[in-house]
Amino acid sequence: MRGSDYLVKRSAFAVITVFVAITINFFLFRVLPGDAVSNLARIPTATPELRHALRVQFGLDKSAWEQYWLYLGQLLHGNLGISFANQQPVRDNLVTALGNTVPMVAIGTVVAIVIGILTGVLSAVRRHTVADHVSTNLAIAFYAFPTQFLGMMLLILFAGLLPSAGMSDPFALGDVSFGSHLADLAKHMVLPAATLALTLYGENTLIVRSAMLETLGEDHVLTARAKGLSRRAIIRKHALRNAMLPTVTMIGLSLGSIVSGAILIEVIFSWPGIGSALYQAVLQRDYPMLQGGFLVITVTVILLNFVADLAYFRLDPRITS
Amino acid sequence: MSTSVSQVDVPEVEVQEGLWAAIREVLHERTAMVGLVILAAFVLMAVFAPLLSPYDVHVASCGVFDPPSAKHWLGCDDGGIDMLSLVITGGRISMIVGFAATLVAMTIGGGVGLASGYFGGWVDVVLMRITDYFLVIPDLVLMIVISAVWGPSLSHVVIVIGILLWTSTARVLRAQVKSVRERVYVKRAQSLGASHLRIIVRHVLPQVGPLLIANTVLTIAVAVFDETALAFLGLSDPTATTWGTVMEHAFDRTAVSAGAWWAIVPAGVSVALVIMGCYLFGQSIEDALNPRLKVAHLSPRSWRLRTLVGRGPDAL
Amino acid sequence: MTADLATAPLLEVAGLHVWFELPGGRELHAVQDVALTLEAGQRVGLVGESGSGKTTTALTIMGLLPSSAAAAGRVAVRGEDLMPGLENGFRSHRWTDIAMVFQGAMNAFNPVRTVGWQIAEPMIAHGTATGSAAKARVAELLELVGIPAAAATRYPHEFSGGMRQRAAIAMALACEPKILLADEPTTALDVMVQAQILDLLTRLCGDLGLALLLVTHDLGVVAQTCDDVAVMYAGEIVERGRIDALFHDAEHPYTRALFAATPDLYGDEPVASIPGSPPDLARPVVGCAYRPRCPLAFAPCVDVRPVLAPVSATTATPPGTQPLTEPLTEPSTEPARHLVACHAASSARAT
Ligand SMILES: Nc1ncnc2c1ncn2[C@@H]1O[C@H](COP(=O)(O)OP(=O)(O)OP(=O)(O)O)[C@@H](O)[C@H]1O
Ligand SMILES: [Mg+2]
Repeated sequence: MRGSDYLVKRSAFAVITVFVAITINFFLFRVLPGDAVSNLARIPTATPELRHALRVQFGLDKSAWEQYWLYLGQLLHGNLGISFANQQPVRDNLVTALGNTVPMVAIGTVVAIVIGILTGVLSAVRRHTVADHVSTNLAIAFYAFPTQFLGMMLLILFAGLLPSAGMSDPFALGDVSFGSHLADLAKHMVLPAATLALTLYGENTLIVRSAMLETLGEDHVLTARAKGLSRRAIIRKHALRNAMLPTVTMIGLSLGSIVSGAILIEVIFSWPGIGSALYQAVLQRDYPMLQGGFLVITVTVILLNFVADLAYFRLDPRITS
Repeated sequence: MSTSVSQVDVPEVEVQEGLWAAIREVLHERTAMVGLVILAAFVLMAVFAPLLSPYDVHVASCGVFDPPSAKHWLGCDDGGIDMLSLVITGGRISMIVGFAATLVAMTIGGGVGLASGYFGGWVDVVLMRITDYFLVIPDLVLMIVISAVWGPSLSHVVIVIGILLWTSTARVLRAQVKSVRERVYVKRAQSLGASHLRIIVRHVLPQVGPLLIANTVLTIAVAVFDETALAFLGLSDPTATTWGTVMEHAFDRTAVSAGAWWAIVPAGVSVALVIMGCYLFGQSIEDALNPRLKVAHLSPRSWRLRTLVGRGPDAL
Repeated sequence: MTADLATAPLLEVAGLHVWFELPGGRELHAVQDVALTLEAGQRVGLVGESGSGKTTTALTIMGLLPSSAAAAGRVAVRGEDLMPGLENGFRSHRWTDIAMVFQGAMNAFNPVRTVGWQIAEPMIAHGTATGSAAKARVAELLELVGIPAAAATRYPHEFSGGMRQRAAIAMALACEPKILLADEPTTALDVMVQAQILDLLTRLCGDLGLALLLVTHDLGVVAQTCDDVAVMYAGEIVERGRIDALFHDAEHPYTRALFAATPDLYGDEPVASIPGSPPDLARPVVGCAYRPRCPLAFAPCVDVRPVLAPVSATTATPPGTQPLTEPLTEPSTEPARHLVACHAASSARAT
């Protein structure tokens, strides 16, 4: 009973949040003073034909509410408009970009989570030991370093050893087998994924450590000790399992850091993903791309948050039953 | 748990003492002090920047990407400008932007948290819904979009960061205010007919003060971080010297391919130090206020055995 | 040696001290020179105000102190002293010899594991039962405490307070311990449920030959359940004896105040109504710890610490027991002699 309530609530929240994001997106670009479309002179590439196309595309002759409904209807059909910069549908541009972003970000994030959990747990169970101090301070340092700084440092350190920009070697003619293509891609991915993992791991370590410490202070851990269980068994069967709950919540909330990390890293390593697309859109005042990019990223984050909610649901019997 | 008597009837002063005791306890802690010293050093540096900066940041004083030397401790950038001066001058604006954005965020977050926790009911429901939505939407992306629409300027950076960084403060504060509200003396003050404003200022704020301080300091860290990110994406005032724009220029003007690490490291490390200072200090306060971290039922060490040989029970 | 072990009591606590390290290098002397013995089937109550060291004493008997603690003295099970082995020395005895029902059973269960899983866990860890045998034993234990066996697959939050308390008792019995420590097992329960739980504990001691140490601040609970009682004040045992002896002839003014504060033995009146407050255990106590609150205090109480000594036969214990002059250290066949640590009590006897 309560379990299904929870699911309904979280689903509704996800749907409404998407709606809120769409609405923010709409108003940000059309209604705010100094909004984008009415200020077409700021678009460097604007020709008279483009201006006309824009007026039609944005329905500027209609009232704000009509425009809003029009916008919702277009979104329903998956129409995000046409990019100013390359005259391609925004949707096609974003699909390509997202396809490039996901593998790199996924690998970096997973590595950061795995390392974060390992070091966080180690720190907590060895609280106040040298290992804890070293691991915690290192985590704070990596939490503190700006992403772009870490990226540039890795670029300088590995200059010549690893590819520094893009996803593939443009001069790799001749051997174009799938295997060598994949190897090339992997080589290009090392630095961006490593930078992402480094910027994220510190925060994860700190999150997991404090979740674990809080769990180790709970009364049922004393019960477990009283039962004559070994330290290992207590950590494995009680502490880890329970600390997963706050960890899932907090990693869900740190999705924002993943996104900002990914954007900066794509810019630094010229990775042709959604972050680069957003950056290019800012530089070229390509508002349809900017708007579309914002929407895609936000909806992705909302969906991932919903996944975190589902994981929580699976992990906590207090909700399930 | 079972000390119900002392929990219900605590005199007002003692509770406040207890909370501020957490701060006093923090000041005895080494990590918190390290954080505070780092922060204080950077604040002093920002205040006295014009006096400390050895060269003018608008005038070239050495060659392109000159490495660190006796005359230029941290080397020079692509325009032959002294890095140490850039970092000192940039620190001033970065810190101002970080502090100002935090002020905006704390005003919103503090207001929302106080109102939500204090008034409860539909005010709470509405405010927390809004907070939840803001919490999910990725900050930097929205910041990028807003700054792109508004155009790059320092005041826009301050506002954009400020209006997006308040959510966690609102959440944390609301929970604390809610529990303070339940305390006896707040109820007593209410029954004596004190106004809401008076109760909030006299009874609630002193209680949540330490937590608010901790959150403020932690928010400064994020604000400084976000400033550099926005600057790096070209969304800050490109003519202003901040740690963010210094790093951005270095990247734009091929410091990486030139291997001129000294054009990147000083600003990057400064940002990292400020964030570390904030984190160490703010987190220490938060940890001291968290009763759940005080107890450890499982620690790597066992308890110790003490022998009483030669000591009678009275000698103990 | 074997003869020694055969005559040794089931549980013997002697000269027990516990100190907690406080921030700022100070130290809190929570338990001071506590001595207790428990035999099979015996039910002893440990009473005292909040902060008097009852829980700490019970936890120390299981070696469950935090790493900030230091302990001294002897905790021996069937003559074997476990203290020198520290944390690890106690481990194999936990739950198999000594089990505990914790203060606030609400939080004693892990919220994300089923109750049955948590009851079976120590059996598997100690190898007393595995697989289907463990399952069968869980069912048997739950029925023993009056919970339907099917509830084993449910989670702690699905249980009511009383049920959780029963489940905690069932869990404590999992490995057939000889000694059961019950820390305020009925606090926070309503009177009906409280009586049921106490009946259950009494019945289990009779049926299984368990030795019970019942920690509480409620003399009514002790009177209902125990044969013997030890009264703790500021980390020390200040009076000890059979419950009826203490009830009729309490020697220590603190014990008397406790009884006075419990008008109805079966009520749930708290003890907290004695004026004044106990001393700060982080400072060394000179003289009698109860002196500032004691109506009978006189000169020696200021600087001489009273020690636990037998009460004279004429004032308290039934005729035929040992005379006053007998030294405390001599092994006694009568475990429930009446002892008190009070200058006023002994001076009253002297006159
Ligand atoms: N882990 C600890 N660290 C520091 N001091 C402690 C710790 N545990 C207990 N104490 C202190 O030791 C003293 C005895 O506490 P204990 O919990 O044994 O009392 P109690 O008699 O069980 O009280 P209650 O009736 O409240 O349960 C108290 O002053 C308490 O503050
Ligand atoms: Mg207790």
